[in-house]
Amino acid sequence: MSVPDYMQCAEDHQTLLVVVQPVGIVSEENFFRIYKRICSVSQISVRDSQRVLYIRYRHHYPPENNEWGDFQTHRKVVGLITITDCFSAKDWPQTFEKFHVQKEIYGSTLYDSRLFVFGLQGEIAEQPRPDVAFYPSYEDCETVEKRIEDFIESLFIVLESKRLDRATDKSGDKIPLLCVPFEKKDFVGLDTDSRHYKKRCQGRMRKHVGDLCLQAGMLQDSLVHYHMSVELLRSVNDFLWLGAALEGLCSASVIYHYPGGTGGKSGARRFQGSSLPAEAANRHRPGAQEVLIDPGALTTNGINPDTSTEIGRAKNCLSPEDIIDKYKEAISYYSKYKNAGVIELEACVKAVRVLAIQKRSMEASEFLQNAVYINLRQLSEEEKIQRYSILSELYELIGFHRKSAFFKRVAAMQCVAPSIVEPGWRACYKLLLETLPGYSLSLDPKDFNRGTHRGWAAVQMRLLHELVYASRRMGNPALSVRHLSFLLQTMLDFLSDQEKKDVTQSLENYTSKCPGTMELITLPGGLILPPVPFTKLPIVRRVKLLNLPASLRPHKMKSLLGQNMSTKSPFIYSPIIAHNRGEERNKKIDFQWVQGDVCEVQLMVYNPMPFELRVENMGLLTSGVEFECLPAALSLPAESGLYPVTLVGVPQTTGTITVNGYHTTVFGVFSDCLLDNLPGIKTSGSTVEVIPALPRLQISTSLPRSAHSLQPSSGDEISTNVSVQLYNGETQQLIIKLENIGIEPLENLEVTSKVLTTKEKLYGDFLSWKLEETLAQFPLLPGKVATFTVNIKVKLDFSCQENLLQDLSDDGISVSGFPLSSPFRQVIRPRVESKPVNPPESSKAGDYSHVKTLEAILNFKYSGGPGHIEGYYRNLSLGLHVEVEPSVFFTRVSTLPATSTRQCHLLLDVFNSTEHELTVSARSNEELILHAGECQRMAIQVDKFNFESIPESPGEKGQFANPKKLEEERQEARGLEINSKLDIHWRIPSLKRSGEASVEGLLNQLVLEHLQLAPLQWGGCGSLIFDEHGSGSRHFMVMRLVDSRFKGLEERGEPAHGNK
Amino acid sequence: MAVCVAVIAKENYPLYIRSTPTENELKFHYMVHTSLDVVDEKVSAMGKALVDQRELYLGLLYPTEDYKVYGYVTNSKVKFVMVVDSSNTALRDNEIRSMFRKLHNSYTDVMCNPFYNPGDRIQSSGNLGISLSCRAFDTMVTSMMIQVC
Repeated sequence: MSVPDYMQCAEDHQTLLVVVQPVGIVSEENFFRIYKRICSVSQISVRDSQRVLYIRYRHHYPPENNEWGDFQTHRKVVGLITITDCFSAKDWPQTFEKFHVQKEIYGSTLYDSRLFVFGLQGEIAEQPRPDVAFYPSYEDCETVEKRIEDFIESLFIVLESKRLDRATDKSGDKIPLLCVPFEKKDFVGLDTDSRHYKKRCQGRMRKHVGDLCLQAGMLQDSLVHYHMSVELLRSVNDFLWLGAALEGLCSASVIYHYPGGTGGKSGARRFQGSSLPAEAANRHRPGAQEVLIDPGALTTNGINPDTSTEIGRAKNCLSPEDIIDKYKEAISYYSKYKNAGVIELEACVKAVRVLAIQKRSMEASEFLQNAVYINLRQLSEEEKIQRYSILSELYELIGFHRKSAFFKRVAAMQCVAPSIVEPGWRACYKLLLETLPGYSLSLDPKDFNRGTHRGWAAVQMRLLHELVYASRRMGNPALSVRHLSFLLQTMLDFLSDQEKKDVTQSLENYTSKCPGTMELITLPGGLILPPVPFTKLPIVRRVKLLNLPASLRPHKMKSLLGQNMSTKSPFIYSPIIAHNRGEERNKKIDFQWVQGDVCEVQLMVYNPMPFELRVENMGLLTSGVEFECLPAALSLPAESGLYPVTLVGVPQTTGTITVNGYHTTVFGVFSDCLLDNLPGIKTSGSTVEVIPALPRLQISTSLPRSAHSLQPSSGDEISTNVSVQLYNGETQQLIIKLENIGIEPLENLEVTSKVLTTKEKLYGDFLSWKLEETLAQFPLLPGKVATFTVNIKVKLDFSCQENLLQDLSDDGISVSGFPLSSPFRQVIRPRVESKPVNPPESSKAGDYSHVKTLEAILNFKYSGGPGHIEGYYRNLSLGLHVEVEPSVFFTRVSTLPATSTRQCHLLLDVFNSTEHELTVSARSNEELILHAGECQRMAIQVDKFNFESIPESPGEKGQFANPKKLEEERQEARGLEINSKLDIHWRIPSLKRSGEASVEGLLNQLVLEHLQLAPLQWGGCGSLIFDEHGSGSRHFMVMRLVDSRFKGLEERGEPAHGNK
Repeated sequence: MAVCVAVIAKENYPLYIRSTPTENELKFHYMVHTSLDVVDEKVSAMGKALVDQRELYLGLLYPTEDYKVYGYVTNSKVKFVMVVDSSNTALRDNEIRSMFRKLHNSYTDVMCNPFYNPGDRIQSSGNLGISLSCRAFDTMVTSMMIQVC
């Protein structure tokens, strides 16, 4: 016997073996349909007794195993059922002949046989035959089960007769020696008359009877026979058969103790079919009763007449512990015979099944360990696979999952051993998959995300490599890509640098044929392989949604402020709200994105690989809003530190957008990495509101861009900076081109300016514009340009220092702290290096040559499109940087009385601080030419001023402002008036630049008093003042009656000529 | 002389594993991994015994053709597995027991290091704080592998 049946279990000893085989050409489908129906009749209660017969069906049974039938009767084929197709009567004799040939194979042991003929109708079918059944077709054969039952009953009759026949052999008769095939030649020429030989014959026969009793459902009887057999055989040292007798004893005891069966599924089925559990437990009784009822059968038993005494011992049955001991003993006897390897192996398997039920795993593992070392003859590869698989199953049965996995893996490797011509990669793969639980490896990457990997990395990696290889050889590249990705993703920490290279190399090779996807792969076995996103290639540490650049940030209109309030609570601060905000992880970020505008998300990533990592097609995964993602490709240097990556996209609709993750393509594997699944990631919220589209404004100016960037305190960012260099007093036009580069029409524009605080005092309007002209071109359609003109007028202080010109006397002699006492003295501009020469003066001198800076911001608030309807606008700021170079200075100012008391001369020392020739003119006077650095005095005849005539507009505000401020304002107003009268201009012919010069800053109280019209006027009660500066403003006459400063008495007179 | 020494965490993953013929390391990984079945079985059988009566030494786990696998389990269910060449008949049970005790003491020293997180692998390439302790453990294992007891 050479083919072990690994599925055997102890209760198989009580079964009758029936072989069901097809004859001729029968389709597999039809055969197995009938086979299944036949198999359903696996136990029969014999009519006239309560005994139960169990049948074991096989559709394949090696005849050489049949030869061991005498050794253990359940190995003997006692019934044969043949199934055949036969469609015409002509074929019938041939078919019948085939049936006989088939019978010959197992002929020596068969009790009975049947032939089921399908398809034949007519005469032959009409003839009733005991061993042949005719059915018209495979569908029309209801009586199959009935036939089988009849057949089994006939088997029972033969079995019963054999049992009784053997049991009642007279002691005087010669008992034949039963032997196993390999023993036959050993007994040639042995003395058959010796006592030893007889005992051996008796013992073996007793054992055989025990087997028959067990099969015939007489459990208690069989136990008795086995016990007696053991004693007999032990005395003659017939070890092989002693082992068999012991095993028989074990089997019978197991059947007694474990009516549920030990063989797993088949046992359960048997259990269900038999009867209620309680009855099943007492199933041994019928047999025992029968023995008691029919003692004659035993007393007439020639082998040992005192069997009846044995029956009294209820302890015939072995205890669970004894069963194992006896199994051990039996196996040790078997192991003495090399040819009984299969018997030994099967006994081990049966014992393990019993131990598994007893939950004695340690002992079971010893049996299995023994089974591993049982050397059968050279096994075929297929048998090896079967053997390893069954070992694996048995280890699983006793709860040794790791050992089970080990053997399963060995079996898998055996499937593709190099000696096999056609390696079974599919089978190998399937078996490998089954080992996964044993190595506590799940193929779901989610199980590896939490914390560090804990497991047998080396072993798991090996298994994954094998899975990859097997799936590749199976011709399923998608599968190998998935496994390889999994290996790379989960075992990254355990791979050496070389391995990382190798793995990625092969992954790239595979993906070149079949790119990795994010789809579930369902295996034929129902196992689902979840996708493996490469969350570690690269590793993302932080995700941050970025606000739009300052110039594109949307703002809510002030008028809608009420709606814009984030909380409906009337309180500005509530600890509850603050607390809630901190808690929410996915809190909404407090800025907005705009539909149709490019929005950015910044990721901090790093590359854990020892080589450059190319990440392609990296983009964002979002929900809530239609989002057009603009994928990026990046290349990260080997083992880089944190590396910022900005992913961009354009929201296409409005609403609330949530950034869920990102997708990448690395080594040809497409991954969707969700932020929720990433461990240790820092995010400051991933939800942001997208508001309707707004136009985009781009401004370009006529002025060069500035390197200076303004840092306004309010936090607004300046998008563009321009700079210009002007001479003090000069005016320049700034032409701003407004281009709508968005896709929405620009409907609304507001311009405001803000002069950044400087120490310099500014006179006049620094920036002035007329918005109306620009607005006339609105709405500005996308792509259209509008121009907007701003006048820049710089008028800083023209005095060289504020408090220089204090003293003023009528004779024109004034004391000045100004170093240039002589107007004609040429001065070289003080330079830094000149300081040591004239230190006390240099600091002051530095002042007047100093280039002063003015900075202002122009704010463009614009809106349009759907965003405008929603009440949003955008703000664009233009920074203006003006460098003001000094043009002329008035180094000294004084007055001289003129011929008329109503007039006086204003004497101005004008200093040209430029490097160019410069002309100065005042009113209608001729031009005064000044060379660079030259100082000259110019005299201007002016009418004295009546400042009271200035409309006292600030007076209205007077109640709010303090008196000092009022006074200042008044002085300014006076300065303005004087200046407008003087109308001093300068011109630099070489540069073709010109501008105004203002005396406002240098008029102090003293000068003002001199310039002022005396409060009281003589010469009649009225005086004539002709305003000669004004453009023909002769029509008014101011009449001062008492005190022109006393406003209450002021009157407007008649036109001048009327009063003369 | 041990050919392979392994420390296995309570959750049955390796904290430390080293074998002398480094070229066939995986074989020992498999051997130690499968031995855990037996360890589990022995530990669960032992579970009923009182703690102070418990024997930490599990004895021979299973023999293979060339090796014998011994086991030892601490009270915190950390397992030590040692693979010994079966040709080395000079090695007695008592000596194995004392080797395990030494191993246990060494492991305790590593555990005492405040920089060591229970459950981390014992590897000297880790941070500076624990690398010394781990190196000491490593040296001890090396001595057990070289010295013929």
